[in-house]
Amino acid sequence: MKFSKLAGATLFALASVSTTQAVTLDIEITNLTQAQSFTPRLVVAHDATVDAFEVGETASTALAWLAEAGVIDDAQEPASSGENFEAVLGPVDTDNGSNTWHRFGGLVAPKATLSYPFDTMDKPYLSILSMMIPTNDAFVGLDSIMIPTEPGTYTYYLNAYDAGTELNDELNSARTDVVEAGTGNALGGYGVPGVAGGGAPTRIVDLGMGGTGVAATVMSGEVEDGTDGPVHIHRNALGDTDNAGGASDLDSTVHRWLNPVARVVITVPAS
Amino acid sequence: MKNSIIKLSTLLLLSALIVACGDDGDTGPAGPQGAAGMDGADGMDGADGADGADGADGADGADGVNGNSAVYTVQITNLTHAQPFAPAAVILHESGFYSFMDGQPASMGIEVMAEGGDPSMVIDEAMNSTDFLDAQNSGGILPPSSMGDVMTLVVPELDADDLRLTITTMLVNTNDAFTGLNAANVSDMAVGDSKTFMTVTWDAGTEANTETAATMPGPAAGAAGGGGAAAGYDPTRDDLADAVRLHTGVTTSANATDPSREGLATSVLGEAHRFDNPTSRVVITRTR
Repeated sequence: MKFSKLAGATLFALASVSTTQAVTLDIEITNLTQAQSFTPRLVVAHDATVDAFEVGETASTALAWLAEAGVIDDAQEPASSGENFEAVLGPVDTDNGSNTWHRFGGLVAPKATLSYPFDTMDKPYLSILSMMIPTNDAFVGLDSIMIPTEPGTYTYYLNAYDAGTELNDELNSARTDVVEAGTGNALGGYGVPGVAGGGAPTRIVDLGMGGTGVAATVMSGEVEDGTDGPVHIHRNALGDTDNAGGASDLDSTVHRWLNPVARVVITVPAS
Repeated sequence: MKNSIIKLSTLLLLSALIVACGDDGDTGPAGPQGAAGMDGADGMDGADGADGADGADGADGADGVNGNSAVYTVQITNLTHAQPFAPAAVILHESGFYSFMDGQPASMGIEVMAEGGDPSMVIDEAMNSTDFLDAQNSGGILPPSSMGDVMTLVVPELDADDLRLTITTMLVNTNDAFTGLNAANVSDMAVGDSKTFMTVTWDAGTEANTETAATMPGPAAGAAGGGGAAAGYDPTRDDLADAVRLHTGVTTSANATDPSREGLATSVLGEAHRFDNPTSRVVITRTR
């Protein structure tokens, strides 16, 4: 573990010889929840013109893609092309002037810790976003912190936000007895109702099947894909203890959380 | 650092110009002196000279005397999904004063604010302290998931090195929950500095959390036939303990019929009224 970290750091140091003053941070993220996994992480270093999310303001389409489907770029989901964060920010791993970003792939399982090197290309602020699954549109966010410049280790605790772009129906997307009202579309990720990621390999329990809906109710096998306001602190999953019925397909004894939901430790190396 | 680099480069540029104006080195030694010539004829008067260039602008005057005040702006954002905030008490004071203490009974001002939403007695209580400096009553309802107006507070500059910020605002779809700041340290902020606080939620401990229409002033109770001023402040203290503590969240009627039966069937609140901390964000900026 230590050796591979060292090798990674050396590789980055060599790659960044041409750029002066570039700082490669070590970013460690820990999932503090008991049953929510984090989808691939969007890590952005940016200037004051970039704001990936803002409480009290309506989510962008790019944020909706991330919070409803865990999608950041075209490579993950071609259908998101032109609407995702890649379209907003520019090419990956590039100095895009106002920002540079990277997608750290894979899931962060509940209670797990992962760490990565990240070249900030001298941008002053850092934001991190990742969808929480299984939820409708919850995401964990680090909101434009000023990147410390003094060498050292800095710890941040992150909250769970509700993107507000999808009603928290808490319905299992694997269900075939419920479709989106009006369109007949199957439940699932971006633009349709339902909880995404219920079948993730990092899941703690299987989701239930017979829920009638929490913030949106199933009527004649259909459920609406509504919105619930500007970005705000998530009020938590509700769940219930009836796997075959009740309101929710989530489990109230398993899927709930309280803030903070993640810890991020940033190490600024001695230069 | 940047300035000194600029200054240095300016100096180098100037010295280069001076060198360029110097002797070009082509002049030979002076020749022998010639014989004296005749006096010349008187010359004509010269033409008038051109007008001189305008003088440089004078230096800016010193700032006027205004009692040497430090000025702060405070902005509150409601981070909840469905909990409007009642008018907020925003108080700047010196260290040593507390509007409330965790584990202690709430003052009457806190009780009236947390049960009914009116923060004016919280401000009155603070004004009675020798540590009080300035306060604002935000005066209006701050809707869920929205940013509030910027409020301005002014304190003597001498007190900027020992400054505390207290804020209280009720979550109106609750019995007696409030959020804000309890004497947060905002000392030694330079002009232009900002501090951001994400705030927790307290239970005033002055009213049982029955979540009924007759005991909560907000729109959820209103929709159930109660709410308003009559459902706000009640002098009876009937909570589990008469002490301020962190709030456990609203129970709501969600899951009241689920096999778990964890919901509160008599609550007029629904799952949408639930909240998690932080419930508000406070940004204070020193502007002068």
